[in-house]
Amino acid sequence: MSALVLALAVNGLVWGLIIALIALGLSIIFGLLDIINVAHGDFFMLGTVVALVLTLATGSYWLAIALVPIIGFAVGLLLERIIIRPTIRQASLTIVTTFGLSMMLQEGVRATYGPQPRRMAAPIEGTIPLFGIDYDVYRIFAAGFAALCLVAFFVFLTRTKLGTWIRAVRHDPETATALGVPVARICAITFGLGTAMALLGGAIAAPITTVEFRTGVDILPFCFMAVIIGGLGNLQGTVAAAVLLAVLEGLVTSVTDPTIARIASLGLMSIALLLRPHGLFSGATR
Amino acid sequence: MTTVGISRAALVLLLTALIAVPMVLPKLGSSFWIDIVAEILIWSLLAASVNLLLGYVGLLSFGQALYFGVGMYGAALSVIHWGAGFWGGLAIGIIAAMAMAAIAGSVAVRLTWHYFAIITVVFSLILYFAAMSSKPLTGGDDGISFSAPNVLAFGNTRLSLADQSVQYYTILLVVALCYLLFSLVVRSPLGVRFMAVRENDRRAALVGINVYLTRYTAFVLAGALAGASGALFAFFGRYASASYMFYHVSGEAVVWAIVGGAGSLLGPLFGTGLLIVFREIISTFWEHYLFAVGAITVLVVMFAPRGLAGAWNDLLQLVTRSGASASAPTSSPATDPGLAKPAADTTSGG
Repeated sequence: MSALVLALAVNGLVWGLIIALIALGLSIIFGLLDIINVAHGDFFMLGTVVALVLTLATGSYWLAIALVPIIGFAVGLLLERIIIRPTIRQASLTIVTTFGLSMMLQEGVRATYGPQPRRMAAPIEGTIPLFGIDYDVYRIFAAGFAALCLVAFFVFLTRTKLGTWIRAVRHDPETATALGVPVARICAITFGLGTAMALLGGAIAAPITTVEFRTGVDILPFCFMAVIIGGLGNLQGTVAAAVLLAVLEGLVTSVTDPTIARIASLGLMSIALLLRPHGLFSGATR
Repeated sequence: MTTVGISRAALVLLLTALIAVPMVLPKLGSSFWIDIVAEILIWSLLAASVNLLLGYVGLLSFGQALYFGVGMYGAALSVIHWGAGFWGGLAIGIIAAMAMAAIAGSVAVRLTWHYFAIITVVFSLILYFAAMSSKPLTGGDDGISFSAPNVLAFGNTRLSLADQSVQYYTILLVVALCYLLFSLVVRSPLGVRFMAVRENDRRAALVGINVYLTRYTAFVLAGALAGASGALFAFFGRYASASYMFYHVSGEAVVWAIVGGAGSLLGPLFGTGLLIVFREIISTFWEHYLFAVGAITVLVVMFAPRGLAGAWNDLLQLVTRSGASASAPTSSPATDPGLAKPAADTTSGG
C-alpha cells in the first residue's frame, strides 16, 4: 500500500514537472501579453502529435524532441502575428479568439491525423526498482528533462539580454519602449516561447500519455489551476503550484477516486482566486 | 423611415416568419427544419445569457453551461421524480438555475476581467465533474431520458410535446417571453445601471450605484436565461446529460453571442441561428465543420467585433443617412461592448 502511495506521488511529481513546463508557457504569455490562452492545451496536444509523427517519419525520437520546440516557436510567432496581435486591443475578447483557435487546432488535427487515440513506444525501455516497485525509466528521464528545461528557462530569463528585455516589458511596457526595447517583437517572441514550451511539454509527455486530438482539453484546466494557484504571472509560483498540485492529486487519488481529487483542487483554486488573487506565493519575488 | 421604424418593422417580420415556420416549412420540403429552428430558439437563450453579462454588464462568463445544465436537470428530474408537467418542470428548472447562479454569483462577481472568466469556468468544471461522477442521480455522460409531459391538459383537449407543431409553438412562446422580459429589464432603470457599470464601474460607484449588487443581479438573471434554455432543451430532447455542462458548451454560447453582436438584444439570436444553420448544412458533407466555426470565430473578433448586430446598425445608418431624413436620431446605442480593459479594479475584487 505504501509503495503504491509513493508510486502515485512519484507519478504526480513526473506529471507535475511536465505540466509546470506547459503552465510556465501559459504564465509568461499571460504575464506579458495579458491574454488568457485557451488554446494552450491544444498546443500541448499538437506537441504530442508532432512528436509522434516526426518519430515515425525520421525513426528517431531524439530528433523529434529537438525539432518540436523549434516548430512550436515558429507556430507561435506565426499565430501571434496573424491572430493575436490584431485582436489584442479587444482585451477580453482574446479569450474568444484563442477559443476559436483551439477549435481550429483540434479539428485540424482530427482531420489530418485522424480521430483514433494512439500510443507511442517509450524511447527508453526498461524499468528500475523504485520504492519496491518497477518504475519506467522513461518517466524518470521525462521528469529530469522537464526540470532541466525549467532551469534553462529561468537562466535564460535572468542571464541573457533577451530574457532581461522580456522581464522589462512584463514589468513596465511604456518605460521599456522609452528605453528602446522593441516591445512588439518581445511580445511575439514571448508568445513563440510560450507555445514552444507547450509543444515541448507535449513531446516529452507523448510516450507516457495517449496521443489524440482531445488531450489538450484535459490538460488545460490543470495548467490554469497551476497558473492561478501560483499567482497569475508569477513564474516561480506557477512551477511550484504545478508540482504541488500534481503530487497532491496523486496522493489523493490513492485514497479516493480521481474525480474527487480534481474537484478538490478546483475548489482550492477558487479559494486561491478569491482570497489571494496574486497567488499563494505572492510574497515571493516576481 | 427612421432607424427605430426599420428595426420595429424588421422585428414584426421576424416574429411573423417564426410563427409561420411550422406552416410554411413542411410545404417547402422537410419538417426536419422546424426542429432546427426550435433548437436555434432554445440555444439562443443561452447566447442571450452570455450577452446579458458580456454586452450589458461587461463581464465575460465562460461558465454559462453550468446554469444550462442545472436548468436541464431541474426540468428532467422534476418530471421523473415528482411527475411535474411542462410548466412546472420549466419553472423548477429556471428556479434551480437561478439558485445555482445566486450561490456561485455571490463570489464570482467579486472578480472582474479575466478573473471573472476563470472563476466561472472553474465553478462550471467543479459541477461538471460532480455531475459526471454522481451517476445514480444524473446518469453522468449517458444522461437520463424521460417521456414528454403535456403542455396543457384541459378536459379532453390535451396538447402534447409529442406533436411537432405544439412543441414548436410552446418553445417559441417561452423564448419570446424571455426576450420580452430581457428587453424590459434592459430598458428599465436596472438596465441603465447595467450599462453604467459596463462603461465605467468606478464612475458608476461614484454616482451611487451599488456595482456589486448590479453585477450580481445581472448574473442571477443570466442564470435564469441559461436555465430556461436548458429546461427547454431537456423537454425538446426528453433528455438531460452532464456532458452539456462542459466548458465547450459555454464557449460555443460565447461564440454565438459575439458573432451575433454582444450588447444588442436580438443579435445573439441571429448569431446562434447563423452558426447552427451553418453546422446543419456543412456537417452533412464535411465532418470537420468545427474547423470552419473556429475560423469564423477568429475572423469575427478580428474584423467585426460588434458582430452581426454591428453590421446591421451600420447598414441602418447608411440607409437612413442616404434617405430623406438625414437628421434622424441615431438611437442605436453604442453597441461596442465595454470590453476595454477597466482602468482600475482589475486584479482583485476587494
